[in-house]
Amino acid sequence: MTKSADTHCPYCALQCAMTLTSPAALTPAVQPGSDPVAEQTAPSVAPPLLTVAGRDFPTNRGGLCRKGWTSASLLNHTGRVTEPLLRGTDGVHRPISWDEALTRIVAAVKETRAGHGGDAVGVFGGGGLTNEKAYQLGKFARLALGTSRIDYNGRFCMSSAAAAGMRAFGLDRGLPFPLADLDTASTILMLGSNVAETMPPFVQHLQGARDAGGLIVVDPRRSATAAFTSDGGGLHLQPLPGTDLALLLGISHAVIHEGLADAGYIADRTTGYEAVARSVGSFWPERVQSITGVPAGLIRETARRLADGAGKGGSYILTGRGVEQHVDGTDTATAAINLALLLGMPGSARSGYGTLTGQGNGQGGREHGQKADQLPGYRKITDPAARAHMAKVWDVPETLIPGPGLPAVELLKSLGQPDGVRCLFVHGANVAVSAPDANAVIAGLRSLDFLVVCDFFLSETAAEADLILPVTQWAEEEGTLTNLEGRVLRRRRALTPPPGVRSELWIMTRLAELLDAPSTFSEDPETVFEELRLASSGGLADYSGIDYAMLDRGEAAYWPYPAGSDGTPRLFLDAFAHAGGRAVFTAVTPRRRTPSAGAAPVAAASAADRAGTPMTLITGRLMEHYQSGAQTRRVAALAEAQPEARLQLHPAAAAAQGIADGDYVSISNERGVVSCRAELSTDIRPETVFLPFHFPELESANRLTEAATDPISGMPEFKTSKVWIRPAVSGDAVSGGAAGNRSGVQVLQAEETS
Amino acid sequence: MTERIVVVGFGPVAARLIDELLPAVRSGIAHLTVIGEESEAAYNRVLVADLGVGRTTPAALALADAAALVADGVDVRLGVRVRRVDRARQRVLLSDGTSPGYERLVFATGSRPVIPNLTGLNPDPAAPVLPPGVTALRDLRDASVLHAAVAGGKRVVVLGGGVLGLETALAAAEEGATVTVVHNGPHPLGRNIDRGGGSVLAASLRNCGVRMAGNARSVGVEHNAPDGGFSALLLDDGSAIDGDLLVLSCGVRPRTELAEGCGLSTAAGILVDHKLRAHHEPHIFAIGDCAEVRCPDPECVQCRTARGPSGLVGPGWRQAEWLADYLTLLASGADAEAEALPPLPAELPGVIVLKARGMNMAVAGDVSADPWDEEALTAGAVNGRARLQIAQWADPEHGRYVKMTTRAGVLEGLVSVGMPRTSAELVQLFERGAELPADRSLLLRLDGPDQAAAAGSVDPSRTVCRCAGVSGTAIASAVTEGCGTVPEVSAATRAGTGCGGCHDDIKGIIEAHFQGAVA
Repeated sequence: MTKSADTHCPYCALQCAMTLTSPAALTPAVQPGSDPVAEQTAPSVAPPLLTVAGRDFPTNRGGLCRKGWTSASLLNHTGRVTEPLLRGTDGVHRPISWDEALTRIVAAVKETRAGHGGDAVGVFGGGGLTNEKAYQLGKFARLALGTSRIDYNGRFCMSSAAAAGMRAFGLDRGLPFPLADLDTASTILMLGSNVAETMPPFVQHLQGARDAGGLIVVDPRRSATAAFTSDGGGLHLQPLPGTDLALLLGISHAVIHEGLADAGYIADRTTGYEAVARSVGSFWPERVQSITGVPAGLIRETARRLADGAGKGGSYILTGRGVEQHVDGTDTATAAINLALLLGMPGSARSGYGTLTGQGNGQGGREHGQKADQLPGYRKITDPAARAHMAKVWDVPETLIPGPGLPAVELLKSLGQPDGVRCLFVHGANVAVSAPDANAVIAGLRSLDFLVVCDFFLSETAAEADLILPVTQWAEEEGTLTNLEGRVLRRRRALTPPPGVRSELWIMTRLAELLDAPSTFSEDPETVFEELRLASSGGLADYSGIDYAMLDRGEAAYWPYPAGSDGTPRLFLDAFAHAGGRAVFTAVTPRRRTPSAGAAPVAAASAADRAGTPMTLITGRLMEHYQSGAQTRRVAALAEAQPEARLQLHPAAAAAQGIADGDYVSISNERGVVSCRAELSTDIRPETVFLPFHFPELESANRLTEAATDPISGMPEFKTSKVWIRPAVSGDAVSGGAAGNRSGVQVLQAEETS
Repeated sequence: MTERIVVVGFGPVAARLIDELLPAVRSGIAHLTVIGEESEAAYNRVLVADLGVGRTTPAALALADAAALVADGVDVRLGVRVRRVDRARQRVLLSDGTSPGYERLVFATGSRPVIPNLTGLNPDPAAPVLPPGVTALRDLRDASVLHAAVAGGKRVVVLGGGVLGLETALAAAEEGATVTVVHNGPHPLGRNIDRGGGSVLAASLRNCGVRMAGNARSVGVEHNAPDGGFSALLLDDGSAIDGDLLVLSCGVRPRTELAEGCGLSTAAGILVDHKLRAHHEPHIFAIGDCAEVRCPDPECVQCRTARGPSGLVGPGWRQAEWLADYLTLLASGADAEAEALPPLPAELPGVIVLKARGMNMAVAGDVSADPWDEEALTAGAVNGRARLQIAQWADPEHGRYVKMTTRAGVLEGLVSVGMPRTSAELVQLFERGAELPADRSLLLRLDGPDQAAAAGSVDPSRTVCRCAGVSGTAIASAVTEGCGTVPEVSAATRAGTGCGGCHDDIKGIIEAHFQGAVA
């Protein structure tokens, strides 16, 4: 077995470089117990199999956050699933052999296909899967399962910014420049992104702007990132949730009217300026102040600092989920891009626009065929040339490749419905916690004929599964991921996986065989990557010039990287990706919101719960947890620091309801009820409350979010939900303290020792 | 069949209506004709004062593109007047000799400046020919007159203490002109603001370099300039205010003469019902400054308390959006759906936010009552309706003043001078009809210096390294155990191994430890 491996963190898109070392004293690959019952009585603390050390790299410069430092504790976690588990008629999951597991899956798929057609089988992927898995999963769905119904959880995070980037630039790469370019910037405008909590080592790259007084953070909360703007670091703009689009139009208005726009750039490199100038004409700062609550003076100041920075060390505009996860998320990201274009930023050497990708492989995961509407290389599935290309690479008739499927929210809504999906595969996602309107999603999962979940823990989604397949963790596998800069990185194996565990590539390959699928499948990551190179060749996200050997030599590989080129660290320097080479301004204005039809009040919350003044719920992340918390809630150090969801609430709002710090509160709307403790803080606007979305069951924030989506991207509205808050009363179901210990899903925490 | 819609007027409100009707035009269910008297397509009048002081460009003011509209199939007639409307034949007779017919006619004729009755000015509203050196501030030509004066460093006299006059005066003063505002009453903004707010406002304007002449009754203009132009504004006490340019900012009056000419009912504006239809004329509508929503039903509660046209653009835009929906439904033959469209809710009282660089003021609603004004506060508080409550803060020395007039915790009026964040917060609370925090003083502290700086706590147990979750206590004990540098502390505790933002704090703890040892 390997003694040490240079790899990257298993969590977010910053993909901090780390070295995993196997302490010589330890016996290799501790065998977790084979009996799940015995497992729970076993001591929950085992010494870690690997030590983690930060490694110098341009993105993290040796830094790691708590999540990364403690990541190895999950490798030999006693709660880990190490054998296929089949749910019996009594609802209890019991181990079965791999042969039996595969046989049952094949039978379920064949039965579903025969009875209801190929599209009754669905696949839900994840932005944490390696490029190889994501690529082969798309191929597996379309060729082996014969379904169009594949989409992934990246639809919840990146699709609006991706759609806006495609519309404006003809290409979507989260950051079209290396992260270290930010270091010398004079002004950085961050909208709806709290990197100080979500990817702490990123903060190093904001220091230059902070020193120049040019960090501008837009957030309804005084987040840890917003707090960096105090003491001369910059400005904090605190708009009402859901008004970011108007705010951006106001800043653009000030840019145009104060003569700050870069006329030469607009004339030479863009089209559509006039329509945008007209559309922002009616958003003068004082009017925008009335909509957003942000003083007109700050709106003008932001415009001036951006313009000033663009002329000096550089200006950057970065957007995050806070402004993108809305029903007008694509338009909001477009407004941010328009502002950047007005100032001549994208495609310049020292300025730019970017969106901060969230999940570990949120970038690569959206490029290679996991999306309902795409084929590998960021190709459109409806484009005849793209289909012909893929048919050739896969050596199948073009007609065998299905057309576009359904985006994630629609896919999940279709579960168990007539003409919907009846047999579902879930890979690297925990939709029971992470998807909007989680109660409805869980009901959908329960209505399936057959649910297969690949995971290494009994996540809340796995708990609903008919069959759970244990898969490898990051330190046990080889592959590549593409970080938030569009740089392709190597994940390397440091440890032999437990004997009962398989890689998803192996599972897909076996199943494809048993289903008599056309084309070829492989369990070897490098073989899959070699095919991915061919598949992506000539596409927007072209990886054809990248191979494992060059990555292993430490070369920085930024796509597009056509064979024979040197890759593209900085995009758009000469031309944008649209035909003609110009960036496209698209005029956007806030749509008039109509109450969503079909939101029939489920009797989840009684009318009494919804008395009084509604508040606006926003959701987000905590430093200690990652996504649905399926992993981080099982790390003792992290769970101790943040054991439960807490509702962040302004003291003035709390006082009106007689709520004190630490009191249990009930948060409800027509979709569901959440019960947790209140945390009073003046860091949040008085009409707004915040819940982290890492927690399940009674603390699951997504019980309250609505499955309404952006019409262009299909991204859900996570960030503004109307809720009613009241103190919990006896008789309310109340969570028991430590997360997870109140349901059928036993969460054990691994002690992390260093 | 295609429904012919004719829009008279091409200002900001008409532009919004046209934008919203474009899908119907593109799909062929409506044919749209727009008649604009000016030679430009719609532009943003709200910013004419900015243009007048050279802060923006005519191009940036554009709200519509005539060529693009023509390409979409809209019949755009610029520089054309409507001579009259022939309701019997459903035609408009135009100055270009044509007479397009209509199924739906929309008046969006806006308003025109009021020309005060002064000796030396011709007050005839139909022929507002102003002498040299005197201008209103309504259109692009007015803006260029002001611009010439400001650029030339001339003395500008603004007659009128309304918001447009104040904005013009402030902007011109900031751009270097010598400006005097002449207004009635003890303070500017008249009845829109209370005495305290008005007094602080006037003082703030003076601080910004604007000369304020209050309680002034003007009676005439003097034309003794070399070119026969304006030289002074004459007051009723025999005094005169000298200047090179007189800007008239005495309010606006809805343009209703075309509607009157074809027999429609008018009061201050063209009278329309809740569906914006002219009284007893289902084919004709009016929106924006020229329209007065007051339905023919004498029992209508909403209309009993209705105000005339607000002169603000926001309500006009909402009317335009609503009417576009309504006309689109009618054009597509969905008459029943159109009739079922809920009418626009009544407008809140207008919000005035002073557009200015150097100072800040917002005022909205009725702010006349004072905290001890029992009679005014209890008026209307019957049948369980809560009485008005006032919270107030006055600090004239520092140019700050806030008044919150609430009923059941919800703002009915507000004044905020000199407090930008408070003003932004109050205005959005007012617009949303949201309840204020019971402790109103929260809203007064938003601009305080304590809000900007998150005071670094000296509590030793606080988390120093947030990334790794390490407390000051843990770092101090690592230092006690022998760590003398940041990297050593990092190696021992992981503090400083994430973003590195706490390195200075760690250094501070190390230094404090060794200083303590020396002492």
